[in-house]
Amino acid sequence: MSHVDIRDLRKSYGTVNVIHGIDVDIQQGEFVVLVGPSGCGKSTLLRMVAGLEAISSGSISIGGRVVNDVAPKDRDIAMVFQNYALYPQMTVAQNMSFALELAGESKDVIAGKVGRAAEILGLKPLLDRKPSALSGGQRQRVAMGRAIVRDPQVFLFDEPLSNLDAKLRVQMRAEIKGLCARLGTTTIYVTHDQVEAMTMADKIVVLNGGKVEQVGAPLELYDHPRNVFVAGFLGSPAMNLWPVEAIAGGLKLPGGSILPLDGRHPLPQPGTKLTLGIRPESLLPVADGPIRAKVALVEPTGAETIVAVTVGSETGTVLLKERFSMPVGTDIGLAPVAGSLHLFDAATGMALPVKAS
Amino acid sequence: MSALFRKMEDRPWLFLAPAVIVYAVFALWPMVDVTIVSFQKWNGLDANRQFVGLANYQYIFLQDPVFWTAFINTVIWTFLSLIFPPAIGLALAIGLNREIAGRSALRAVFYLPVIIAPIAVATMWRWMYDPFFGLFAQTLTEWGLPVPDFLGQKDTALYYVFVAYVWQQVGFSMVLFLAGLQSVDRSLVEAAQIDGAGRWKIFRHVTVPAIMPTITIVLVLSLIHSLKAFDIVYGLTGGGPAQSTQMLALWAFSQSMKAFDFGRGGAVSVVLLVITVAIVIPYLRWSMSREVHE
Repeated sequence: MSHVDIRDLRKSYGTVNVIHGIDVDIQQGEFVVLVGPSGCGKSTLLRMVAGLEAISSGSISIGGRVVNDVAPKDRDIAMVFQNYALYPQMTVAQNMSFALELAGESKDVIAGKVGRAAEILGLKPLLDRKPSALSGGQRQRVAMGRAIVRDPQVFLFDEPLSNLDAKLRVQMRAEIKGLCARLGTTTIYVTHDQVEAMTMADKIVVLNGGKVEQVGAPLELYDHPRNVFVAGFLGSPAMNLWPVEAIAGGLKLPGGSILPLDGRHPLPQPGTKLTLGIRPESLLPVADGPIRAKVALVEPTGAETIVAVTVGSETGTVLLKERFSMPVGTDIGLAPVAGSLHLFDAATGMALPVKAS
Repeated sequence: MSALFRKMEDRPWLFLAPAVIVYAVFALWPMVDVTIVSFQKWNGLDANRQFVGLANYQYIFLQDPVFWTAFINTVIWTFLSLIFPPAIGLALAIGLNREIAGRSALRAVFYLPVIIAPIAVATMWRWMYDPFFGLFAQTLTEWGLPVPDFLGQKDTALYYVFVAYVWQQVGFSMVLFLAGLQSVDRSLVEAAQIDGAGRWKIFRHVTVPAIMPTITIVLVLSLIHSLKAFDIVYGLTGGGPAQSTQMLALWAFSQSMKAFDFGRGGAVSVVLLVITVAIVIPYLRWSMSREVHE
């Protein structure tokens, strides 16, 4: 069993607390992505699982064994670093076999394991090369190969795609996901890129300021964010978040537009200050739409058009599948897709409960 | 002024010219001149220099009783210089690269001897080596141990002089190694930890390859510095007793400035120059070809 249990985990550097009591359950074979903005503690959390950072309090167990005081090499984990951390003086084959040699494996076993990993990752023709003679993508594969040969209980990835160009990143994203699924190894993957998190994860852990904001399946988090932070962090372009005021039967938007509620939420008390969330793809341009907006910028990407708008004093984004060519400054009406409104308490930032359907 | 700079823009050699002139006058010309002098007989004062062909070389190689002593001492000195100051410097650098209390102060303390003039170091150590009043003599007497005549015995004087040299040189290696150690990629160390490497394996497989360029620089500089060892020996023993601490650089100086035979002194200098170049250039080429460039 290779489940990972993180219980009330805390980390402080002197008097500065960076991880404030985190609880995460990671099931065997699960691909869990830790995501959050820079400085949220995601890499620190991963490094604590790896044993590279001491734990201030709480516990981490891997496969049912508490590993708080176990050395990294004895935790049965393998880690892929952001800069790959390949030994520059060793060939690809030596890089991949180093851990096995240290573990005292026989030459035949090492050759077999390295050969199989090289086969899986398409590294066979590169085995005699040094890392300096490899491209970024190839180095990334070697780093993964080094992890695979050890057949660990848990793979740890620390922003492994950040150093690759956009195209290669998309390709490697699919490769890593496919590989981990094929091997069935429990994986913890750290990224600040929410698209990576959405596309790769079985389960996402959104971190902010050393705390867990929400844990769940990617679409569950996307459709039902627990608070304003998760709502704004997941999704690209980000969700429109506007300060609104509840009035009888609807919401008063910035600029004075009145938006009737769609019946998904219980009617809030008139006068209540709220934050309204609408995903950019849930807004449609409709001539007499209830949200009055002004076109600020039109960005055609080919497949989609991103329209930046102003709603009163606030800015917003509309994502359209069709072509759109209104001049900047045009007044337009926008209507939300039915059932797409998210409401958050303006003071606490927490999502308002949705009516049971 | 700006017009001048514009004119100079497409004439890069103009920017190099001042440095080249200084280098040529103060480094290249003396080398050429000493080589010319080594084929002449000259007392340093006469207007005439007499060309004597290889006579000076013949003399120092075949007749000079001190040259070969100085040569062997220089070889021993250089050999020891390539081991002790770099090894101790590396050990200190590793220790002072860790998070320990008073780290900065200790770094300064170990580096301090480097900035003291070697002749001043020689004076200090000469006092410490004094067989009656010196620090070592007093300490040994306190402990009831016999006090050797540190600089007065010809079998051991060279090594006691070398100890003072190590004391002065170690900080230099240490600083270079510290800089090298700080450039070791932290994630490589962590990757090795996860791979199961202990301290020694991490040192061997991560630290040493990463500081290989620094090791090369330290060894080359130690080598060059040790081959021209002069002032500390001059200040401590002046080459004695009985020429037992004589070095090539010191012998070249003595021949020229004390015996006023600039031809022989020049010949010894040229031998030293040839040895230095013959060792340093192949080593640099070899080590640079080995360095792994990421």
